[in-house]
Amino acid sequence: MLRRVRLCLSAIALALATPAAFAADPVKIGIPVGLSGANSVVAPSVVQSAELAAEEINAKGGILGRPIVLEVADDGSGAAGAQKAFDALLFQKKVDVLISMETSAARNAGLPIVTRGKKPYIYTSLYEGRSCNKYLYCNAPVPEQMVAPIVDHFMKKFGAKTFFLVGSDYAFGRGMLKFTREYIEKHGGKVVGDEYAPMDATDWTAIISKMRSAAPDAIVMSTAGGAPNVTLTKQYKAAGLKAHIGNLSVDEGTAKSMGADAEGTFITASYLTTLDSPKAKEFMAAMQKKFGGNLKTPNDLSVPEYDAIYLYKAAVEKAGSFDTDAVVKALAEVSFDGPRGKVSMNKQRHAPLNMYLGQVQKDGSVKVIETFDNVDPGDQCPKL
Amino acid sequence: MTATLLDIVTSAAILYAVAAGLLIVFGVMKIINFAHGGFLTIGGYSALAVTKLGWNPWWSLAFATGIGFVCGMIIERLVVKPLYARPLDAILATWGLGIIIGQVITLGFGREVQFVQSPMSGAVDLAGASYSSYRLALVLAAAVVGIGIAALLQRTRLGLVTRAVIMNEDLARGLGIHSGLVRFFTFSLGAALASLAGALITPLSSVDPNMGVPWLVNAFMLVLVSGVSFLSLLVATVVFGGAQVLVSTFVSPVLGGLTIVVLAAVLLRIRPQGFSRE
Repeated sequence: MLRRVRLCLSAIALALATPAAFAADPVKIGIPVGLSGANSVVAPSVVQSAELAAEEINAKGGILGRPIVLEVADDGSGAAGAQKAFDALLFQKKVDVLISMETSAARNAGLPIVTRGKKPYIYTSLYEGRSCNKYLYCNAPVPEQMVAPIVDHFMKKFGAKTFFLVGSDYAFGRGMLKFTREYIEKHGGKVVGDEYAPMDATDWTAIISKMRSAAPDAIVMSTAGGAPNVTLTKQYKAAGLKAHIGNLSVDEGTAKSMGADAEGTFITASYLTTLDSPKAKEFMAAMQKKFGGNLKTPNDLSVPEYDAIYLYKAAVEKAGSFDTDAVVKALAEVSFDGPRGKVSMNKQRHAPLNMYLGQVQKDGSVKVIETFDNVDPGDQCPKL
Repeated sequence: MTATLLDIVTSAAILYAVAAGLLIVFGVMKIINFAHGGFLTIGGYSALAVTKLGWNPWWSLAFATGIGFVCGMIIERLVVKPLYARPLDAILATWGLGIIIGQVITLGFGREVQFVQSPMSGAVDLAGASYSSYRLALVLAAAVVGIGIAALLQRTRLGLVTRAVIMNEDLARGLGIHSGLVRFFTFSLGAALASLAGALITPLSSVDPNMGVPWLVNAFMLVLVSGVSFLSLLVATVVFGGAQVLVSTFVSPVLGGLTIVVLAAVLLRIRPQGFSRE
């Protein structure tokens, strides 16, 4: 009897010990993302990007020998959900790093929790710029990189003089369009309307009526990414207005889900599926192989997630440890050559990027109109 | 100017379609059906199902009405019927039911925002302004709903007994009217109307499991100020819908979202019977 118990115990001990002998503790990457709410249209593509990066890195031995485990949490695309998601990821799941695309409302709500949790946070969404925190890096475009191509194109190619700005009423919409207004006015254009609807608004009737009476040459949209983009564009098209549209927050995946309604919309992006560099093609092939028919169109909100996981890996390897301060310091010094070209967050926590002016076609694909190499993000966080 | 007027008419029509089902249930049963938003969501997802099945989007209207009616029948028997004598508990129960409907939809369709194919697209020229043809079609749809309800109540035997139950349920029962059956039918009809409204409003916006909540709040306010009359509901939707459009257009869409709720509270403070004549 005693012998059998002892045998049993040693078997359990062996079972517990064995995996530890082969694999170190995993490194946990927290991904707070908008699985519900406005961002839910793009969030699945962000998660897919992360899954591919994790799988590729794990196949080659992980980060400093530790395999990656992803912890995905729904932030509800807003501040309230983000507080819960950041709290749960940092203090319950005890993640080593946060890497995610979110709304600016969610990011701003999460930052104080990151400061408390003392972990690196790489934000991978294009945004209104100037979000600065000791632990924060961003590898996606800011207004300095996005606004000029669209406004210049409208002014030079179409002779546009009057602009109407419309966005969601929060940090992103307001910040992006403030920059746009200043840029337009500095270059001799006139802003004839500047309107905002709540972040979760689905009814744009009143604003579309104002557009109609203002009769602008061009309209620049900057809503929360995902759902509001679709409802605004649909209702704009249904109203029969004909101004040129530039959109600062629509990604290629969302554009595709709008079908013919998005046709003709101009966008700026640091990634488009039509890029034909070898790295971009390699990435696309890997995504298609991994997800097959379930693949969500990779886009400018999801590909930076892929890049950022590799940037984190490079920073940890350069620092030689997972120590927060060392990794945060190294993040500014490393680079990754991925689908968007060589990306390095070496400019005040932000990244110079290759930018593309694209126009959405009838089938939802995006045609590249103009390419801008290595566009500087400008002064973002001069004090850090 | 024309556009603002059209905005007012179409917004009022949408509000009317959304609130009609809530009003008829309130009229007969004297309970506010807080699952109304849930039935509206069911309608939105019925339209989504039609899109996913690849049917002609016009089918979504009939499909949503049918699904709503069937769900209404089941829920009346299982949840609402035992609570007729306890109107306050019925409010709690229907509120909970709305939450359950949202969660079941989340399990079935996922929690993300999704989009429905529109049965018609493009714009028509009307008095010098081009205007969304689908929004104009919504006015027609709301008119059909309104006239349909009026005809049902005024021109049919069923309408007659329903009106009798609305006026004095005890007396109607004394005359041999099966008021339980009237309640059963009315609740199912209210659910069907909510579901139809859900299918009508989705093509220009989007569906998500909580889409019904903001509509429920506005519809609730409109019913409170309308009493049990469909005519005063019409007046209320035009006045409040118009105010909402004007505030959104000339002040800010953020404040526009609050207009109906604030105006209803103010009106009830000044004139407790709202828009109804009694």
